[in-house]
Amino acid sequence: MSGRTARLIFYLGTLTSLVLFLGLTADTHRQIVALTHVDQLSDTVVAGKRVWHKYNCNDCHTILGFGSYYAPDLTKVYWRRGADGIKAVVRNPEKFTTWRKMPRQNVSDQELDQLVSFLKWTSDIENNDWPPQDRKFRGAAGRAVALGVSPGAVLFREKGCFACHSLYGTGGDAGPELTRVGSRLPYERIERVLADPVAVNPEATMPPPGLSPEERNTLAQFLAELK
Amino acid sequence: MSLAYPSQRVAYPYFVVALLLFVLQVTMGVWVGLHYAVTMPQWLVDLFPFSTARAMHTNLLVLWLLLGFMGSTYFMVPDETERELYSPMLAYVQLALLVATGVTALVGFLFGWTKGKPLLEIPFPLDWMIVVGALIFLFNVGMTMLRARRWTATQGSLLGGLVFLAGMYLFNLPFYRNLSLDWYYWWWVIHLWVEGAWELVAAALTAWLLMKITGVPRELVEKWLYVELGLFLFTGIAGTGHHYYWIGAPKYWLWVGGIFSALEPLPILLMLVDAAHYIRERRGRLNGRLVFTLAVGMAILHVIGAGVWGFAHTLPQINYYTHGSQVTVAHGHIAFFGAYVMLNLMFFYYAVPQLKGMAAYDERRGNVAFWWLTVSMSGMTLAFSVAGVLQSYIERVMGLGYMTAQAQMRFWFGVVVFFGLSLLGGAILAVLDLLTLRPAPAEAKTAGSV
Repeated sequence: MSGRTARLIFYLGTLTSLVLFLGLTADTHRQIVALTHVDQLSDTVVAGKRVWHKYNCNDCHTILGFGSYYAPDLTKVYWRRGADGIKAVVRNPEKFTTWRKMPRQNVSDQELDQLVSFLKWTSDIENNDWPPQDRKFRGAAGRAVALGVSPGAVLFREKGCFACHSLYGTGGDAGPELTRVGSRLPYERIERVLADPVAVNPEATMPPPGLSPEERNTLAQFLAELK
Repeated sequence: MSLAYPSQRVAYPYFVVALLLFVLQVTMGVWVGLHYAVTMPQWLVDLFPFSTARAMHTNLLVLWLLLGFMGSTYFMVPDETERELYSPMLAYVQLALLVATGVTALVGFLFGWTKGKPLLEIPFPLDWMIVVGALIFLFNVGMTMLRARRWTATQGSLLGGLVFLAGMYLFNLPFYRNLSLDWYYWWWVIHLWVEGAWELVAAALTAWLLMKITGVPRELVEKWLYVELGLFLFTGIAGTGHHYYWIGAPKYWLWVGGIFSALEPLPILLMLVDAAHYIRERRGRLNGRLVFTLAVGMAILHVIGAGVWGFAHTLPQINYYTHGSQVTVAHGHIAFFGAYVMLNLMFFYYAVPQLKGMAAYDERRGNVAFWWLTVSMSGMTLAFSVAGVLQSYIERVMGLGYMTAQAQMRFWFGVVVFFGLSLLGGAILAVLDLLTLRPAPAEAKTAGSV
């Protein structure tokens, strides 16, 4: 190979790749408007993104798979835990963690609302269904809402119960599977667990779900009917 | 043996600072790793969370590697241009500025002063200090080359890489409202640095050093340098797409990213073949066996870390399950080590004896340090890889919970910490050795001279 050919390879290789890359970048800007639902990208969502940066969440958690790998990916956390579930963890991380801890930080209520709207917007980004383990929550969420004639099912999703428990094969595996919980436990006992898990079972790692008496009643009835 | 150009001396303080930061970086790495293996008490997590420690670990890495590149550049440029540096004073000012910025940033992290973007946590006002430091550096190097008017492809690659490096950092400055676009341009900094600009700088430094130690003619080295750079940029620029699979970008990135990044090992392989070729074709005896060992070690580990471990999870069909798992961590560690840590150590072992006026030096400790570091990093990478495969399978394929998978991986993090401590030992040995080099014993001196 001559020196001329070598230089030609350099210039041709670099330019081809550069032109392709810049062209696709321009097109990505055009398409990303729909793919990330920019119409939903409100000032509150952006404020939530600033909260996300302020507390350096991304140096333990990944989002869209990027960041640090020390804690769960949060791209679709809104599907997994719902608004209340997210808030409960950020307010009292020590109640939700066991051998790997999350720091307690003084996140204000307003910041928490903004953070949740950011994570809600994030969960709807059309990102080729990644991460694979969270695909099922899209279905679980949908099913719970479809069952939504039952307000208890909606509560089950909204309070983040799916994060640890599963129904009909979807949900988390940290807590017991609850598809037929009504055939194992009577209403009264379920209701007491929901009020204070540790009072019923001193070994329980389940955090108190923080329900009002009416909500507790509704959710316990829904679960007691799962037979 | 004295320096051909006295202004090359500015390289030494850069090397010393880089080496001390290297030890600090590995120390933070062990601390970070420990978090995966044992349970930290809540009060400590509140006081000094994992996130802060990890920000320190990664920023220290970038800082010391860049200071190493800068010192190496200042050492190489006078020799290559056959002219003294434009201003040694500016080089010292630049070092002081960058070190002050780095230290402020690290202390700031402890108090939660952060931009909150992984690897680019340094907050906004300090970004400008970095830009000023980079401009001083480019000005100093550029002016030296301009005044010398002795252009070579090696200089071109070096200066081009440095301008490219500084230019890409600018994409870190704006605030992005859209998270997807934020990550889109984050990779213009991170990917186009390590698989673009840094490779240009590395290729130039390596080409120059290989010419020096093997005496192979410039014509040959620079011809292949063009081919290497062409392949690096051809695969590397569009290869950025392998980070765009799951961020909400259009589907064609699965094709573009997959195909171009699958070709990324080619230029790295070519570098290995070229290096082996030059060493075979060398004129006279190799002056210094350790630098030669490091050059071969770098070429091989570069292929393994960036090439093999990178290729292993770059195709979208696989990356869907491994993305953002410990597989990524394994690749990151061995790739940075093989390509850039090795490059810096090789350059230090070439330049420091000359800076200290030694013709030949005692290489025994350096040799032990090289093997110690390499074995430790390989062990750590394998442990990360096992953890990563477990995570991909348990969490992503089986769909079990994140912590369920982490519990199964915990043993392997213990192995990581073991090799991390070992790596720290190797790093301390290398640094102590470089800072206290001794002339070679008499018999080795005669054997080692040309």
